[in-house]
Amino acid sequence: MSHASTSSSTGSFNRALLFFLIGTLLGLGLGIGLHAAVSGGFNATYLKDIPSWMLGLLVGTLGFFYGLLGYYGIVRGLVFQVIGTLAGILLVTAIRAAMGLPFFDPAKFGFHEGAWVFGALVGAVSFLAGVGALTDWWKWAKGESTPDHHEDVPGWRKYFGVSLDHKVIGIQYTVTSLLLLSVGGLFALLFRVELAESGLQFLTVLTPDQTAALNLYNSLMSLHGIVMIISILLGIAGVINYLVPLLIGAADMAFPRLNAFSFWVAVPAAVILLGSLGLGGFDTGWTGYAPLATRAPIGIQMFYLGVWVAGWSSILGALNLIATVLRMRARGMTAFRMPILVWASVATSIISLTATQLIGLSFQMSMFERLFGMPFFNVAKGGNPILFQHLFWFYSHPAVYVFVLPGLGVISELLPVFARKPLFGYRWVALSSIGIALVGFLVWAHHMFTSGMNEYLRVPFMYSTLLVAVPTGVKFFSWVATLWKGKIEAPTPMLFVLGGIVVFLLGGLSGPPNATVSTDLHLHDTYFIVGHFHSTMFGGYVFPFFAAIYYWFPKATGKRLDETLGKWHFWLMTPAFFVLTLFMMRVGLLGMRRRIADYDPMLGFDPWHLAMTIAAFLIALSVLVFFYNMVKTLRSPVTETGNVWNSRSPEWQVPSPMPAHNYEKEFEVVGEPYDYGLPGSVYVKM
Amino acid sequence: MTHAHTSQHSTHVSKDALFQGVVIFVLLAFLTAVEFFIAITNASVLLLSVAALLKVGLVVYYYMHVYKLLEDDDEHDHTSFAWKLATNRLGLWLFLLSDAFVFGGMFVARFNLLGFTRPHLNQELGLVVTSALLVSSFFMNRGETQMALGDRKGFLISTSITFLLGLAFLLGVVFVEWPEAIHEGLTVDGSAAGGIFFLMTGMHAFHVLTGLIFLLVILRNGWLGLYTPERHWAVEAAAVYWHFVDVVWIFYYPALYLIGKAI
Repeated sequence: MSHASTSSSTGSFNRALLFFLIGTLLGLGLGIGLHAAVSGGFNATYLKDIPSWMLGLLVGTLGFFYGLLGYYGIVRGLVFQVIGTLAGILLVTAIRAAMGLPFFDPAKFGFHEGAWVFGALVGAVSFLAGVGALTDWWKWAKGESTPDHHEDVPGWRKYFGVSLDHKVIGIQYTVTSLLLLSVGGLFALLFRVELAESGLQFLTVLTPDQTAALNLYNSLMSLHGIVMIISILLGIAGVINYLVPLLIGAADMAFPRLNAFSFWVAVPAAVILLGSLGLGGFDTGWTGYAPLATRAPIGIQMFYLGVWVAGWSSILGALNLIATVLRMRARGMTAFRMPILVWASVATSIISLTATQLIGLSFQMSMFERLFGMPFFNVAKGGNPILFQHLFWFYSHPAVYVFVLPGLGVISELLPVFARKPLFGYRWVALSSIGIALVGFLVWAHHMFTSGMNEYLRVPFMYSTLLVAVPTGVKFFSWVATLWKGKIEAPTPMLFVLGGIVVFLLGGLSGPPNATVSTDLHLHDTYFIVGHFHSTMFGGYVFPFFAAIYYWFPKATGKRLDETLGKWHFWLMTPAFFVLTLFMMRVGLLGMRRRIADYDPMLGFDPWHLAMTIAAFLIALSVLVFFYNMVKTLRSPVTETGNVWNSRSPEWQVPSPMPAHNYEKEFEVVGEPYDYGLPGSVYVKM
Repeated sequence: MTHAHTSQHSTHVSKDALFQGVVIFVLLAFLTAVEFFIAITNASVLLLSVAALLKVGLVVYYYMHVYKLLEDDDEHDHTSFAWKLATNRLGLWLFLLSDAFVFGGMFVARFNLLGFTRPHLNQELGLVVTSALLVSSFFMNRGETQMALGDRKGFLISTSITFLLGLAFLLGVVFVEWPEAIHEGLTVDGSAAGGIFFLMTGMHAFHVLTGLIFLLVILRNGWLGLYTPERHWAVEAAAVYWHFVDVVWIFYYPALYLIGKAI
């Protein structure tokens, strides 16, 4: 990234943009041409073909990377993925044809659903082979040995191919996460425009007819959810990957190849996930509940498969992290001298490692119900749709702790630095992360109070859910007590930390009404839940994530993000977010259903929705300011290589950016991590 | 603790280990017979669970050597073989923990959907394939022990027998049990019972298949002499994975064949 400003890279960037344009037009033309060929004539509404546009974007993206890199890294991966997908599709189609089964239906995306699913799976594996994430393991299977470390190519190209350096992988994760954040945000803006006024006005312009418009709304709403979730999973993986080895004094993660695999498997997963939009989308929301899911378009299979593949990123990343923390800590770093972010990463990884398998299983079962007719969720054949919800939420509730625990760890990590005071109640905060993770395993059915599950399950799940407030309360108590009488400085990272605390408080306080059975029966499936959820995600992830980027950007690049632009980012995003979330809660309390494209104008929600849409655009604008800040800073010649924030943490005791193999000599931990302001106290001896 | 000492500590085995493998196998076979006996007499879920847990305990401790995770390890040189071995062990067990959640999920789904009823299946066939897998675990343990004792020929023979038994299990399930179940009316798409039966056996069979591929890799590399008594992590990993697949079946066999009323 730091070399992106050289003149040769500007040249290849311009070429990349040109290739993107050409590729998009080629793909779009191919899609529309195919459509016209199949239906025997051209029609102007074909210009609104979503599948053709998705094909255009795929070819355009391929063109972009080819223009930037040539046939290298991600380009090889994507080419392999396309070829692998086609090969898989053709194989299944050939088998079906040989067996005398129907194998082609022009009205339903040509090939049979099974062909698409198998093709997408083969495509994902092909991507990994193409990009080179499997090369060393293949050598190991043949009994060959590989060097402990591969040297990366110098400059920015290493970010677009397989690298085993946890810092490179951390940045790959973070940038991919920001990219998906933009995509998910764009989806939200699209359907927020539709919601700005009752009736259907906007999506009908993008689609040939009203059914298509409603379907697009449902698909965008569903994809907004899941793309943001994948973005968050990659974002926390980025923060964890970059920082944890530095914080514990390790040269890398315990399994560097697995680490690279974990990142790269997420890329084909994202392609498959977005591909769902080209195969009819899906109308179930990101929860993919059966039995609606069994009737959704083929797009839902791409959604299921994309999440399943991305799940491996999460599972294997968590495995790696736990092994790294257990095996690679510096001398003297006992459990209760680990930074809070490390504790939080372990807590989050315990959930990712285990519970992720259950969402994978629930999605597989739903896929198999569609593909093979296995009637797991079909009541008429002895199935049980509630089973899907149990398996799904066993992961998907703890998942929100996966999303927020690292963020809350970042808050605890940064507060003492900017309050110049020791972190209050270190041991309690450390254990509260583990506490949230463990209690989190026992709360899933609070999503199902209205589902028709056994009624005796409601009260125990209500109490277990309310119990989560205890370890979370410990964190708030610690933050407030840490700030108390501190010498507070508020540069941009601290602003985001403080904003995160306040927003997460709002999210936390709006939680118990949803956990309490009597109130949840009214609030379930309303915008109140949407408001609550967005507060927890912004407070627990988005704000701390930005705080972490502002704080550790100088460590990664040797350059400090612009303070003025950072403050613009914060002061645009924060009030806009409050408008968004509080208005969501308000219309929800008044009866606004979630996940619907239209609402009754007599409810009087129009002005509130308009305000929410404007707020959403302001948030998007603030993120654009942030992106501009990153580009501007990377292009600026000014460097900041020292201990920018006057931190005690080991990574700041060496010059930035971090050398390839981290610390030249191992450091030793000799004191407490957060004893800011105590004279004579030392944390690490370099 | 020095490097040499640690690695010796981690891989050291005596000839008694071969005999221990036999004793454990006799116990496992006895418990399996007891399970079958319980099933055809009073079908007590409690007794069946106790028998299954005892079997799992024996396999996890004596065949999978779970205690090696807790072996004292002061090694600080992250490029040493001893450090990598201990870290690899941890990684493999974390993976198995994760994988156990998939199988656990299907296990729970089976009871959610069917309660204490079970599909009507061929009991003799079930006992035969279960025995094949159990005996394969015995030979896997024997092969790993022989490798640690430096008996390469013994390793190749034992591992080949493991492979053949595993293959017999896989073919027995997919090409005998499945067609027979379908013939008896337990179809993939006819009922939730059929769905969950094919899901559980199918996912397990997929793991057996990957285990067989893993066995082929260590057989090839063992044949080429790439492993030594001190350095054979791949053999240990393949063995632990193979036993894990057996552990899953120790739960799935009673869940599918023995527990509940046949319908």
